[in-house]
Amino acid sequence: MLELHVNGGTYRSGAAVGRSLAETLREELGFTGTKIACNEGHCGACTVLLDGVPTLSCITLAHTVAGREVTTIEGLREHPLVDAFVRADALQCGFCTPGQIVSAAALVATNPSPSREEIRHAMSGNLCRCGTYPRIEEAIETWQG
Amino acid sequence: MARLIRTEKEVEGRYTEQWVVVEEDALDQWPAGPLETVGRDTPRVDGYERARGEAIYTADVQFPGMLHTAVLRSPHARARVKRIDFERALAAPGVRAALGPASGESSGGDAEASGAGAYTPDSSASAPYSSHVLTDEPSFAGAAVAALAADTFAQAADAVRLIDVEWEVLEPLLDADEAVARESLLEEPRRYERGDLERGLGEADVVVEAEYRTQTLLHNALETHQSVCRWEGDTLEVYISTQYIWGVRSGVAKALELPQDKVRVVCNFMGGGFGAKNNAGDYTFIAAELARRTGRPVRCALTRREENMASGNRNATIQRLVAGARADGTLTALGGEFVNAVGWDGFSASTSGPMQLLYACDNVRTVDYGAQLNTSPNAAFRAPGFVEGTFGLECLLDELAAKLDLDPLELRKRNYSDSDLVDGRPFSSKRLLECYRRAEPHWARREEVRARSEAPWRRGVGLASQVWYGGGGPPSYAWVRVGSDGRATVITAMQDIGTGTRTAMAQIAAEELGLPLDRVEVALGDSARGPFASISAGSSTTPSMGPAVRAAAADAARQIVEIAAQRYHLEQRVLSLRGGHVVSADGGSWPLEEVTGLLGSGQILGKGARGPNPAGMRVLTFGIQVAEVAVDVETGEVRVERVAAIHDVGRIINPLGARSQVEGGIIQGIGHTLSEQRLLDPLSGSVLTQTLDAYKLPTIADVPELVTEFVDEPDTHLTNLGAKGLGEPPIIPTAAAIANAIRDATGADVRSLPVTREEMLRALREARERETVAARTS
Amino acid sequence: MRLVRPETPRDAVAALTNGAVALAGGTDLVPLLRDRIVEADALVHVADAVPRGVTSTSTSITRVGAGTTLGELEVDPQVPQALREACALSASPQLRAMGTLGGNLRQATRCWYWRLKFPCYLHGGERCHAKEGEHREHAIFGNERCASAHPSDLAAALLALGATVRTDRRELGVAELYRLPTDDERDVVGLERDELILELDVPAADASTYLKAMDRRKWAFPLVGVAAARVGPSVRVALAGVAPIPWLLDSPAALDDATPLPGTAYKVELARVLVRRALAATG
Repeated sequence: MLELHVNGGTYRSGAAVGRSLAETLREELGFTGTKIACNEGHCGACTVLLDGVPTLSCITLAHTVAGREVTTIEGLREHPLVDAFVRADALQCGFCTPGQIVSAAALVATNPSPSREEIRHAMSGNLCRCGTYPRIEEAIETWQG
Repeated sequence: MARLIRTEKEVEGRYTEQWVVVEEDALDQWPAGPLETVGRDTPRVDGYERARGEAIYTADVQFPGMLHTAVLRSPHARARVKRIDFERALAAPGVRAALGPASGESSGGDAEASGAGAYTPDSSASAPYSSHVLTDEPSFAGAAVAALAADTFAQAADAVRLIDVEWEVLEPLLDADEAVARESLLEEPRRYERGDLERGLGEADVVVEAEYRTQTLLHNALETHQSVCRWEGDTLEVYISTQYIWGVRSGVAKALELPQDKVRVVCNFMGGGFGAKNNAGDYTFIAAELARRTGRPVRCALTRREENMASGNRNATIQRLVAGARADGTLTALGGEFVNAVGWDGFSASTSGPMQLLYACDNVRTVDYGAQLNTSPNAAFRAPGFVEGTFGLECLLDELAAKLDLDPLELRKRNYSDSDLVDGRPFSSKRLLECYRRAEPHWARREEVRARSEAPWRRGVGLASQVWYGGGGPPSYAWVRVGSDGRATVITAMQDIGTGTRTAMAQIAAEELGLPLDRVEVALGDSARGPFASISAGSSTTPSMGPAVRAAAADAARQIVEIAAQRYHLEQRVLSLRGGHVVSADGGSWPLEEVTGLLGSGQILGKGARGPNPAGMRVLTFGIQVAEVAVDVETGEVRVERVAAIHDVGRIINPLGARSQVEGGIIQGIGHTLSEQRLLDPLSGSVLTQTLDAYKLPTIADVPELVTEFVDEPDTHLTNLGAKGLGEPPIIPTAAAIANAIRDATGADVRSLPVTREEMLRALREARERETVAARTS
Repeated sequence: MRLVRPETPRDAVAALTNGAVALAGGTDLVPLLRDRIVEADALVHVADAVPRGVTSTSTSITRVGAGTTLGELEVDPQVPQALREACALSASPQLRAMGTLGGNLRQATRCWYWRLKFPCYLHGGERCHAKEGEHREHAIFGNERCASAHPSDLAAALLALGATVRTDRRELGVAELYRLPTDDERDVVGLERDELILELDVPAADASTYLKAMDRRKWAFPLVGVAAARVGPSVRVALAGVAPIPWLLDSPAALDDATPLPGTAYKVELARVLVRRALAATG
């Protein structure tokens, strides 16, 4: 049995060795806020924090994160960034948004007032097909209210 | 009274005549400009659900016992299945059922009966199943051939590899020009002519001719095409990521020969469509059949790779164009041969549309060819045809302006069209001149922008106009329910594909009911729980649904006033709804819930429908974009630095959401212009750019400064709302504006999209050679 | 499939028996496993077995553990500039946070034919599908048999910097890590099957830089990447994205010897400009 630490809770999983963290979170543990959009590490929709570091859960095997702290969007629901994203209209279809917020949360945790260039550098792995990028930039620039 | 009319219905620029029952639109137009709620920046009413990861998309729907599907897709662009054998696949762990193409359809004489047809592990000899979406003669790489359902997706995907297929590989037809030459066409060439092109060219002082090419583009909505199908008794429930709940319902009912009300279609949240999710799709039929056979809920979700192989695309075009003008810039002739590389199936979009509609030119001749190829069928993609056609036309106009030594904006103003010359109809509203006027300050920046060129970067400014449909139309219905607590719910089985229409509908109802926005809910996304609603395509949701919602809210408001008048012994005409109260002209004010509270558990139900479109008028949207670019003339790197967009789409319901739409359209347009292209293997016809490292969508780092303006004047002829659609207009002029800016910056003509390094370097080299020749001859 | 997590290099190597594959950041390996391009019945997760972090062994050598992530390298001031820039321009933030230096050096080509499992030369087949097919992202050097392009930005930087690789059994230059595919051996990485990269020694340069042309501003593999490192009067230049392996350029004039395909001629032009700029930047 695999033991996973997610959003402060401990969960047991019977995931096979090849199973991704994203599938385990979504299908076994019910954390469907984490989205799978490309399932090969190219788009960022599945981004979660692994000990605070943004990680692509669709290409992370669940068995490699035993003992580490996983934070999904469900663990960041009260983060002021959520408010900032809604206020700035930084989402359209919303499918990439949880991943965007997770990446942004990692950025502002180490750099609360990032420059535009820093935002672009840190957020370039989260694709948004609707093109909400200018609003995402605004949300991250204004997240502290 | 219900009125039956025969009306022209337009979706994505395609017109059909149909009967529609409409109700007269008796409401007065609201005043222009911001009202209480309408016309004011409004964050999305479902923003928190989406941002917090609480919204349940089709991808998140889970049912106990649900099976997962993997689809065997043809690796060949043209082939025949000689033999297909499921034996090993069916024996694989977790596999519950298989579907294959019908054996009868195979022309290969040796097709083994054991391989074709549908099987479940416990009935290995069930009757062959002929699905119209599974084929044993695939005509494009990615065509669905067979499918398996298993306990997990991984099991299904593993087992699909075990389906043994013997292919007879045939030569594919992949070249669009060759298809036209061989008359491999999906429809008769579409010809249009007004005036006399040759005469117009004869009258011209200057003629320009050029060939433009646009590439095949992939939608890549982040939620892939998918359905979950579940049979509840004799009713099929379809949970699907769709732009058209009702289209899925009728499509599924027809194919499965079910009464329409025995199909329930649900889509509460969907992760983007951009035109590719207007139909049920092969995945839905596969899931429905596998669910029927197994008695379990079945999910069929395309992988990203399947998405990019087989779920639709914006087809490539070849445009051979000519324009003639007098020395003063008056257009005398516009001509174009447009080859649409449609694919095996799909539709030939109106790539010639902008050439016919945009300018007051008396002599216009166009022909559109829809080439049938062994490539995956196209699908509508955000202003299909017009995005491509505007690139050609608006680049050609700039080449003409250069030859005439005329300011490109001036050239466009001189050829402004007061009425629609295609069929001589007046426009219901057209504020393109106002767009041009507002573009002037952005256009005036070009001297300063060019002056900021610093080797190796050259800077320049370009512009392009936009014309498109976007008026929507009937039928579209909505209900508004007001409860005794004074809260309202808009009920209509539309869908919000991410554009923010849920929010716009809430604003419209709130405005009409005089309620704060937080007392209005919108219940949508379920064909069993609301009336028929418009497709979310063709920039038609807001102009179709908005007036219906307003009418329903007005109907509810009328009933509330009638009740209040009786309760407070006042005349109806002195009462109105404002600020959550019923107010009277003499200063009386009663909280709405005091009036509706009289009903106890009863409710007020308002009903509304979209009225008819204005007879004899042409309803279009307009705009202009001004792009600023920097080009590294040594490496061919193009950076878009600023785009200003001014659009005329009638009344703006939610300026905040509208700006987001425009920004998103421009950003997609930048991807279309610079980095996105579907590449095929020229021998096998396989899609090579199936993954998002190879198919390059813009990232946040590619975004320029964006400036958005709206004319924001209601189209009073159109509806009681005066709002047109905005989903598509902003993507239309972006590529041409960028290409024109590149020419302004460098003198190089980029006529082929995308403007990759190699295309930019080629165009720069060509420009240098031209200069050398010119220098030598002078 | 099994997963083991050894704590020492020795245990890791011992676990790398037939059918076992080393897993580090997984950014390339996990998708390849899913596609069955790499088959494994055991994964040896080397996170605890391989050194991680940056140390300076002397003023002239920076030692980097193979388990150090690209994200850690890009911000570490001890790391020579060309390598830092190569990391910062690589992949996406999440991929940099996951991907390790050792894994990066062993990543496979992005050639779409190879990734889509066409029976191509690199997969052991007879011909290179890219040469007659779609190859705008492909090679201009060393492309006689296989036109794939090596995607590692870091490898080019390390090649220019003259880095040394220490594995569990030997030391070798970065250049020796790679070889063009041949009829006998299609794998471009010249390590034994159970050999593990442990550390790299990266010599300091007086000046170094990494320049990269790509299809979008960020998050793309190189069309052409150029690393240049100067030590005293001598400059080394290495290229990414131009050959099946990272490519050391003897001199700018060596670009005249490129053998571009019809669709990669522009890469020669790009490389000329970027080499000139890189040389100018390193003075």
